[in-house]
Amino acid sequence: MGLDRRAFLGLVAGGAVGTMFTPIPWKLLDDVSIWTQNWSWIPRVPKGQIDYVTTTSKLCPAGEGLKIMRVAGNPISAAGNPDHPLSRGGVSALARSEVYMLYSPARVKSPMKKSGKGFEPITWEQAMLEMADKLGAAKGAVACVSGDGTGTVNELLSAFVGKLGAAGYFMMPSEAATAAKAVKLMGGKGQAGYDFENADTVLVLGADIFETWGTSTRNRKAFGDSRPVGQKPKSDYIYVGPTRNNTAAVCDQWIPAATADLGVVALGIAWHLLRAGATSAAPGFDTFKAVVNGGFGPEDVKRATGIAPEVLAGVAKALASAKAPLVVTGSPCGQGLGAAPVIAGMSLNLLLGRVNKPGGVYALPELATVVPGAMTREAMLAGDLPAFLKGVADGKTPAPKALLVYDANPAYGLPETATMAKALEKIPYKVSFSSFLDETAAMCDLVLPNSLTLERYDDLATPYGSGFCVYSLTVPYQKPVHDTRTTGDVILTLARKMSVDLKFDNFLQVLKEKVATLAKASGGFVAKDVMPWQVAAGKPAPALAGGDLWKALTSGYAWTMVGQVQATLGFAPEVLAKAIKAGKAPEKAVVLAPYAQLRTGTPTTGIPCQDLTTVPDTELIGESTFVRLNSATAKALGVKKGATVKLTAGGASCEAKVHIFESVMTGVVSAPLGFGHSAFDVFSKGKGANYLSLLSVVEEPGTGLSTWAAADVKIA
Amino acid sequence: MSGHSKEFPITWGMVIDIDKCTGCGACMASCQTENNIEPQPEASNKLRSTSWMLVYELTNDKAFPDHDIAFLPRPCQQCGNPPCVSVCPVVATDKNEDGGIVSQVYPRCIGCRYCVAACPYHVRYFGWYDPVWPEGMEKTLSPLTSVRPRGVVEKCSFCHHRWNLAKDAARASGKNPDNLDDGAYVTACVQNCPSGALSFGDLKNPKHKVHELIKNPNAFRLLQRLGTNTQVYYISRREWVRKLGDNYLKSE
Ligand code: SF4
Repeated sequence: MGLDRRAFLGLVAGGAVGTMFTPIPWKLLDDVSIWTQNWSWIPRVPKGQIDYVTTTSKLCPAGEGLKIMRVAGNPISAAGNPDHPLSRGGVSALARSEVYMLYSPARVKSPMKKSGKGFEPITWEQAMLEMADKLGAAKGAVACVSGDGTGTVNELLSAFVGKLGAAGYFMMPSEAATAAKAVKLMGGKGQAGYDFENADTVLVLGADIFETWGTSTRNRKAFGDSRPVGQKPKSDYIYVGPTRNNTAAVCDQWIPAATADLGVVALGIAWHLLRAGATSAAPGFDTFKAVVNGGFGPEDVKRATGIAPEVLAGVAKALASAKAPLVVTGSPCGQGLGAAPVIAGMSLNLLLGRVNKPGGVYALPELATVVPGAMTREAMLAGDLPAFLKGVADGKTPAPKALLVYDANPAYGLPETATMAKALEKIPYKVSFSSFLDETAAMCDLVLPNSLTLERYDDLATPYGSGFCVYSLTVPYQKPVHDTRTTGDVILTLARKMSVDLKFDNFLQVLKEKVATLAKASGGFVAKDVMPWQVAAGKPAPALAGGDLWKALTSGYAWTMVGQVQATLGFAPEVLAKAIKAGKAPEKAVVLAPYAQLRTGTPTTGIPCQDLTTVPDTELIGESTFVRLNSATAKALGVKKGATVKLTAGGASCEAKVHIFESVMTGVVSAPLGFGHSAFDVFSKGKGANYLSLLSVVEEPGTGLSTWAAADVKIA
Repeated sequence: MSGHSKEFPITWGMVIDIDKCTGCGACMASCQTENNIEPQPEASNKLRSTSWMLVYELTNDKAFPDHDIAFLPRPCQQCGNPPCVSVCPVVATDKNEDGGIVSQVYPRCIGCRYCVAACPYHVRYFGWYDPVWPEGMEKTLSPLTSVRPRGVVEKCSFCHHRWNLAKDAARASGKNPDNLDDGAYVTACVQNCPSGALSFGDLKNPKHKVHELIKNPNAFRLLQRLGTNTQVYYISRREWVRKLGDNYLKSE
């Protein structure tokens, strides 16, 4: 049978029409679109049952309780735990990173030993043997630096180092250390705690309370509560500092003042309060009054700070007429402020009668130590690390023979970075317990990686800034991703090897003992239905139900206690007279005022990879960081927007691009901290400059404390 | 033009209190991980990175000391009249589901990017490269959001998957999934913002806070004159902030 042309065309046409009616081509087209997007190299999302568990952030200094989402038992993401008083559902960008940081490319994957310029992996057993040997030889001259301001692991480390013969136990510089010094000089005791929840008028002197100062997530929750959306604010926040930073951006008033003038501003406000009749029974009041009246009148303050008398009179009036005023002092960059401005700020709380009152400042007791021979937090905070390392660098202080570095990165995170690195180089044997390969770990002989938050048991006791005593636990929810161990356990193993008795076999036991001690403390309760600030405001504290505190704490609740240590805070007028002077504003000098933000991590975390997204292009582009100055300053310096400039101070220099930002006071250059890493990973390394290196350490007159929150800087 | 908007009995909306936002970026960081957006080493460059939620810095343009700043978090505005929908040649993006969330169907997207050009709020992002996670980090991907290959456009979905979860939870507890309690469904950014700057709910549901908030005299929407009729509202007591919300001429 032949096929003629007509029949053939008919067949083709019929076939074509037929395909329109079959679903096959459409199905194929759909499949093509699906399968061309289903590329094998695109990661698959995990499948499985979703559940939630709780823990406490150790990476974020704000100490948030976390709610971890898991899929098939694997942690996926971290959110704020609504039941935790330091979080109440909020979370910082840094705490949010707790899960994915487990897989950070910068993690140290196993114990490592220095070999030439690099490292070689070794086993834990080899590491322990070597360490026991070296530390044994260094007995009597072992120092320790810790960056964990809240963990009981400090008890183990300090007891261990103490028993080996300590050359010093140092905390990384913090607002807590400055405040502790201030409280001590004022004759007080305990840790200053700020009851934002019950305050209605808050004067913030320098402290970046919504970013880096203290329990910032909790501070913000309290702030947010007093500002119901769409209603008239129920609180008044006034910020004093060199820039309108993230905190000042939401405050009702910003009063521009140089960091160096914060103390002068505080005493200037005191002058107005005293004139309006404020008085106090606290020791030193009469001398304080004389000091203030003698040198901090409105004209003195105006001459020194440029602030008009009526501005401070207005602040004094707002404070005096408030029901629950509160004054908070801190460093605009989270470190390096002197103790004197903190004393000056605290004296306002004294004048206003705000000490140990709801909505005021509490002198919080320290939780009892459980490790025999451990230092108290107060004792640990008394060490002055920059001064110590400077002494070592200059040869004035003998270098320790060995140094243990826990959760700290002194080679990056201290002022005068070059001097500090020089000091570290002089120490012959250094061990870092860092989870990430940071700048200090890179200088060490041995790196013994600590497991991360989600891989270990750990704890958090009353972070600085909290208005109440608080304790919560960190619980492991997954096996360590790499060959890492909990440092607490490593120290205990090592102690056994070296026949140093620390009483405990493992770190979990230490924590259990800590919790058992808390269970016996009177006045403590689990924050559940009643929150500590409600108790401060008069609600009766619930009893510690049932006694199974461990269970409550491992379920994400926090133990809290409201109360204060009995000690009388005085004005410390002699210190103020020596340290704070309302001089004349220096002409023409440009002052560097750094700022820090949680989104760029801490010196120990580097920039968490997902948080890089939150960094604006006015702060970092490619390898350049921007410094901020207003147009008047830029004009005086002859620099233009976008220009690359060199900042020189204290014998060091850094590059930066210029961002014209009018919310920086004239004569100030504002620079972001957290950049300029030479270690970590592609998300941190080589990004911008570390402006800490420009800050020189200066001893504060009257207190002897190292300070470095600002520096005169040359820009060209 | 708002008369042309399709009406939905449930209309999810966000109210952002600009006066409470510190610009911390926790909302952005929350969004990145919630929605499986890969970490980007050059992420500070906003022209080359993907961030469904982006916090803008606003200024009143005055010199020191009269200068003022504010932060404006910008999710997808979920327009009532979405300019992106009408330009999509393959209906990969649509506004046809209850809730009023503008959808984005990745397998259908052909990557022409008309919608990117059409969106006045710059909420749409095109994937120029395949997403890559640092080794092992893919274990932390969320099972609730798909991973997009290169070549498609993506944007904020108001964490649509969380709505599904909330409806499931309501069903499981014998409640009406079409009448969720206030707060039963919120996006990741809303959940995590430490300042409480973000509120979320059904704009049509009188039991939801946002229902009242959008009537606040200080509430406004972005580029309202375009008639996009967005489902995201902003609140600020500052007049200059409210004025920046639209293209006012100097003389107005
Ligand atoms: S998390 Fe909240 S305060 Fe922070 S940038 Fe986002 S909206 Fe603003």
